[in-house]
Amino acid sequence: MSRVWRVVRIQLVNAPAVLGLPVLVLLLVLAANIALFAAIGDAAPPDGNITGAVISIYGVMLAVHLQTMTQVFPFALGLSVTRRTFFEATSVVVAAQALGYGVLLYLLSLLERGTDGWWLRLKVFQIPFLDVSNPLLQILVYTVPFLFVSFLGVFLGVVFKRWGQLGVWVLAIGAGGALSLAAILITWQRWWPAVGEFFAGQSALALFVGYPFVLAALLAGAGYLTLRRATA
Amino acid sequence: MNAVRTRGLTKRYGDFAALDGVGIELAANRIHGLLGRNGAGKTTLMQILTGQQLETSGQVEVFGGHPYENEAVLRRICFIKESQHYPESFSVRHAFAAARLLYPDWDQHLADQLIEEFALPLKRRIKKLSRGQLSAVGVTIGLAARAPLTLFDEPYLGLDAVARHTFYDRLLADYAEHPRTIVLSTHLIDEVSDLIEHVVLIDKGRILLDEEAELLRSRAVTVTGPAQAVEEFARGHVVLHREQLAGFLRVTLEGVRPGQSADGLEFAPVSLQELVVRSTQHAAGERALAGAANGNGERA
Repeated sequence: MSRVWRVVRIQLVNAPAVLGLPVLVLLLVLAANIALFAAIGDAAPPDGNITGAVISIYGVMLAVHLQTMTQVFPFALGLSVTRRTFFEATSVVVAAQALGYGVLLYLLSLLERGTDGWWLRLKVFQIPFLDVSNPLLQILVYTVPFLFVSFLGVFLGVVFKRWGQLGVWVLAIGAGGALSLAAILITWQRWWPAVGEFFAGQSALALFVGYPFVLAALLAGAGYLTLRRATA
Repeated sequence: MNAVRTRGLTKRYGDFAALDGVGIELAANRIHGLLGRNGAGKTTLMQILTGQQLETSGQVEVFGGHPYENEAVLRRICFIKESQHYPESFSVRHAFAAARLLYPDWDQHLADQLIEEFALPLKRRIKKLSRGQLSAVGVTIGLAARAPLTLFDEPYLGLDAVARHTFYDRLLADYAEHPRTIVLSTHLIDEVSDLIEHVVLIDKGRILLDEEAELLRSRAVTVTGPAQAVEEFARGHVVLHREQLAGFLRVTLEGVRPGQSADGLEFAPVSLQELVVRSTQHAAGERALAGAANGNGERA
């Protein structure tokens, strides 16, 4: 058994917290949505009742891998695991988990179609702008954003390990500031229509597979380089 | 053969030197005591030896290689520190399962025995453990891992005297059967003085003593008697410490050969703990003197 695989198993030693928790939260939110719309009982609009419930599992995934770095990494480093091995193991877990959840969401979307939106014309998984016709591509549309949020969590976790709360605040304020500046610039130059056209012109594949994949790769690279000098 | 070798090892945090030119060699398959006051640099030294910190300058070799990010070296090292971090979601059995995956020589039988002796609740979450139980988890991992280089950094916090002696007994028994290099950093010098074979005393980032424990024990004596006779005898020896009460004087002397005697003077061996304390105080005194002579000395 290779060292990386052993560290994968250590990350999954308490598997329910890593693999089970995001699914549990998703199912609870789904159940709450169904209960809510059943209680309202109004006639659904022509497009169905579109909800953002699916966001929950992406959010929990981010939190889980933030904790991989803030909780499991110091433990593993203390038990003589190298930073490199730990990062490789994390990447294996993230990739497998993202793909697994991608398939799960796809299956749930089939179930949703089969039950005519959970008998309530709910659209939790078949959100119109996420819909692509090909099953494999549909799985990718669900999977790649998981990679993105996971490596975002990993990166934030590493920043926290290296520079503490202050580092995370500086990063958040920096990112917020950069976005605000961009918004001001766009408003000033009257570029909003162009921005809108750009996003409207992108396919679901570009928006949910192409760009998230590039961002995930950048965050993974930044996370690894930052981790190289992190201490317990 | 040496398990560990450092030369001119220095670690700076800004102006503060946590380690200042440390050169030590730790022979393989022995029990080394790493002694010193709080903040002396013990933990920093062990963190560098285990690849958890990077030195500012100097050389470090553990099993012939630099430990930082060195898989081949690190898999032979187990470092149990007082501040070991455990994931919040872990229960006790998760920690053992993880350690078992990482250490090739892990002995589950020994782990089970220790779990029973320390009465560790396997299903309890680690963050709910008492300080003593937390230490017992670390001690159990450190012993059962059987790593060729095992370092214990104050592993006994919160452990009662009985549990501490369970640790010492188990350590000695297992070490006899499976020799390995052990570094024990501790304040409870008297408790481990029979255990350790080699002593490294560190103070303010510098090495004060680096000697065989056997030699150290015979290295210093206390001499008690009438002040004048003691003064006379003490001439030519390094005086580590002196206490005067009325006409009587008691001094701790270095470099007195065993078996020496003088009329009217009482000789007594010095315990390892006392020697460590006196040597540290002596070094502080010399620093103060040097500082006073320069007129700009550091405060000791």
